[in-house]
Order: sequence, then C-alpha cells, then structure tokens
Amino acid sequence: MSARSERTLRGIPTKPYDLLLEGILVLALVMALVLVLAALFGSPDSPTVRARDVARLQPLAFVRTTARMLAGSSALSGYGPPYTHDPANAQRLLGVAPANWFGVTEPVAPARDLVLAPLERAAVLDPSLAAPLAAFRGATVAQQRAWARAYLGAVGKAEVSGARVVVPPGAYGPVPALMNGMLRLGRSGLLTGALEAGQRHPYALDLSRALLFFQGSVDHAVARSLNMTGNRWGISHETGPYPGAWWLWPYTFLYQVPPMASSPNGDLQVVLIVLVALVLLPLFLPFVPVLNRIPRWIPIYRWIWRSWYDRHR
Amino acid sequence: MNLTQRFQRVLQRNLTLEDALPTRMPVYVDSLAYLFGAGSLMALVELVASGVVLAAFGPSWYHHRPVGRFVNSLHFWGVQVFFAALVLHMAAKFFMAAWRDGRWPTWAVGMLAFFVALFTGLTGYLAQTNFDSQWIAVQSKDAINAVGGGSIFNPMNLGQVLTLHVVVLPLVIVGLVGVHLFLIRRDGPVRPLPDTKAAEAGR
Repeated sequence: MSARSERTLRGIPTKPYDLLLEGILVLALVMALVLVLAALFGSPDSPTVRARDVARLQPLAFVRTTARMLAGSSALSGYGPPYTHDPANAQRLLGVAPANWFGVTEPVAPARDLVLAPLERAAVLDPSLAAPLAAFRGATVAQQRAWARAYLGAVGKAEVSGARVVVPPGAYGPVPALMNGMLRLGRSGLLTGALEAGQRHPYALDLSRALLFFQGSVDHAVARSLNMTGNRWGISHETGPYPGAWWLWPYTFLYQVPPMASSPNGDLQVVLIVLVALVLLPLFLPFVPVLNRIPRWIPIYRWIWRSWYDRHR
Repeated sequence: MNLTQRFQRVLQRNLTLEDALPTRMPVYVDSLAYLFGAGSLMALVELVASGVVLAAFGPSWYHHRPVGRFVNSLHFWGVQVFFAALVLHMAAKFFMAAWRDGRWPTWAVGMLAFFVALFTGLTGYLAQTNFDSQWIAVQSKDAINAVGGGSIFNPMNLGQVLTLHVVVLPLVIVGLVGVHLFLIRRDGPVRPLPDTKAAEAGR
C-alpha cells in the first residue's frame, strides 16, 4: 500500500478482493444485458425528412415554408446572431445578450440563400425561371415581401395540379412562378444540393441550410406525428417506443415551467438555470450547507453499510 | 534526484501496484451500491468497442446493413445502460457523502466526466443521421445560440458533430475517467458515516 493508503485505511479490517474478476463479471453482465436488449428491441431509425418527399407529398406545406422565407416571416428571418444581423432579437436576460458578444458567425439570409440562390442554380436548367427571378430581383424589398405575404394568404385556397400549386388570381407578382420553380427543384431531389452548394466550403459536411429550411412547420408536423414534441417532459423523446435521452429530463422539463415555457428568452433562462442549479451546484455540493447534510438525514447509507454497522453493534 | 526518481516517489506516496490493482478491500465495501460505478465503466467499455466498429464502417452501413443495424442497437442500448448505471452510481455516492475526508476532487472530476458524457450523448443523437438527428439539431441550436455557443458549436454541422463524437469527446471522457479512477484508488473507499442510530441507542 502507498503511504497515503496506509494513512487513510489505518485500523480498518480488510478482506480478500479480486478487482479483475469483479471487472470481468460486471463487463459480462453489461454485455449480456446490452445484447439481449439490442436483439429484442433493435434501435430507432426514423427516415430523414427530405426536400423531395416534402415537395411531392406535402406541396402546400413546401410552398408555404418557401414563401415565408421571401415574406420575411420564417423563424430564421430576424433570428439574430449567429445567423442574421438582428442583434435586437438575440435572447437576453437583464439586458445582457451573450449571443451578441460573438456576432454573426454563420451568416444566412433566408430569402437570398435558401430560395433565390437555389432558384438561380435551377434557372440554368430551367430557363422559364429567368424572367420571374429578374422581376422579383428588380422589385423593392417591401414589394417582394408584399407579394410573398399575399401569396401566403392565398395558399390556403390553392389547388395542387400535377406538380404545380395554383393559387386564385391576386397581386403576387412573380411569386407563384418562383414557388412552382422551387417545387420542381424540390421534387427533383436537387434542392438539398442547391442549398449546400452555396456554403463557404463546398467540401464540408455542414448541413445547416438544408436543416434550417424545414426547421419550422414541416419538421414540427413530422415530430408531432412521431410524438416527439415533448409537451410534458420536453424534447427528450426518441422516435417510436424507445427510451430517449431521459437523463436530460431535469433540463428539458424547465421548458414546461413558466416563465421559460412562453418567454422569447426561454432558452437563455433555461441554460442559466441549468448552469447554476445542475452544473455549479452539484459540482460544489460538498461545500453547500444543508445540501451536504442531506445524506445524513436520509438513511440510505445505513442500507449500503449495513454489514459494517451490524458488525459494530 | 532525477525526474524518474521523483515520479517513482510520487507513485510510492500515492498509488502503489496494490492500490492500482487491489487484492484486499476494507470490510465495509460490501454492497451492490459499489457495483454501479463498475457498471458505468464497463458500459463505457462497451460503448467504445461498439463505437469503434460503427466509426470504422460508417453511417451507410449502420443504417442499411443488418449487421450494421445490430451494432448500432448495441451502441444505443449501451448508452441507456451507461446512463442508468451512472445515475445510480452518482446517487449512491451522494447518499454515502462520498466527498468526505478530502475526496472532493474525486467527486468534481466525476461530475465533469458526467457533464462531458451528456454532451457526448447529444452529439451521438446528432450523429445518428436520421429524423431524430434533424429534429434535435434544429431544436438544440436555439439554446446553444442563446448563450453564444453557436459561434463554436453548430449542431447542424455533421462534420463537426461526427469528429467531436467519435474522437474528441471520447478522449476527454476517457481522460477524465482515468483521473477519476486514479483519485479513487489513491484515496481508497470512503469510511462509513457515523452510525447515528447506534450512537443514539447508546446515549
């Protein structure tokens, strides 16, 4: 024994022990448990949401999502750092907005990067898009958004005719043509490639733009159908009847509690509570009065060391 | 005294071979509660082993080939067993007040390993490359961005997520667990709390 062990364990009777045997037995137990669980239940693997499938199966949801980008009403429009230059919209607490300290590090302009740039790429193969694109680009931003808003208002009355969404007559400018161009691009399966083609480093594995495109109502609709929105415990469900990240419940549960549940600064509030209550407090718990006495009040230790106490009774 | 001699002296003072690989234990180490730590450690071994196989063959294999799907299932259930054992281990150590007699560093390093494991779990969910990954990526980004973390970690960047999950975070966890185990074996198992019931009976 080391000098330190001699000191700390002086006077304590010992018994024979085999560390390696215990390790091997526990490993065997864990392996057996995992093997049985994997063999019996497998693992969840819900298919990804693909632009092609959304465009083909839910064309109205597709054009609605796309038109919101042009109208400036998507969740990404005005998001603030790290995506857009809207520091006023960064989450803040007591006037402090940590996101603004780091600025826009992943710049995304929803209308330009997620709609117009892919359409320009598509226009190389689909010349009918050139004129509507030129008309849209020639208009003021206010006009562009007004057209897109009018179109969004009409989508509810739209009809799907083959591969086209047909809206009732109205003042939409070139937006219907652009939306049907995006729909064709989506149905072709080339939209994701067109979105990622615009990223800074073309060989990277950064899927931000493709994921941000459907982060709104489309992803939520799929998540709802898979019972993944987490109304009670927060988003820690797994797809299907599998256990999810239940160890995050203390964190995700905070999203169900006022004021975080409805506050526009809810994420920042939750993260700060987690940092104090679930990180710093447990880390320094041995020095926190009252909390460090709890083990003495709840006699679980008496069960753990019952043979020791019996021995000394 | 040269550097090697100094290191020998440090080991003699803190961790002899008998400390590192003990053949005797204090008699009070006599409960299932002592096995939860070993359970989480062995689940970590299972996770590293199944993770190495998954990393070697890649996402297409573990989505579309039966053997790949099975190894993916081994990894998935390994995570569940790992966190179950870890939570039980942490609860047991809390109710034993295992930080006593100068063992706070062991407690703190264990906590840090737990926090890194949580982040590793998140990157694992993101690396599944299925709808779960898409959903968690777009949902988790808001909390990360709110504190400015979006400038250094982007959950939608699969390249970053994969390298973190497969290389960086496992190395950090294994390093922290190594320090945790060193401290555990250096200090030995904490003595039982005073038996208040017996003390009251004898009063």
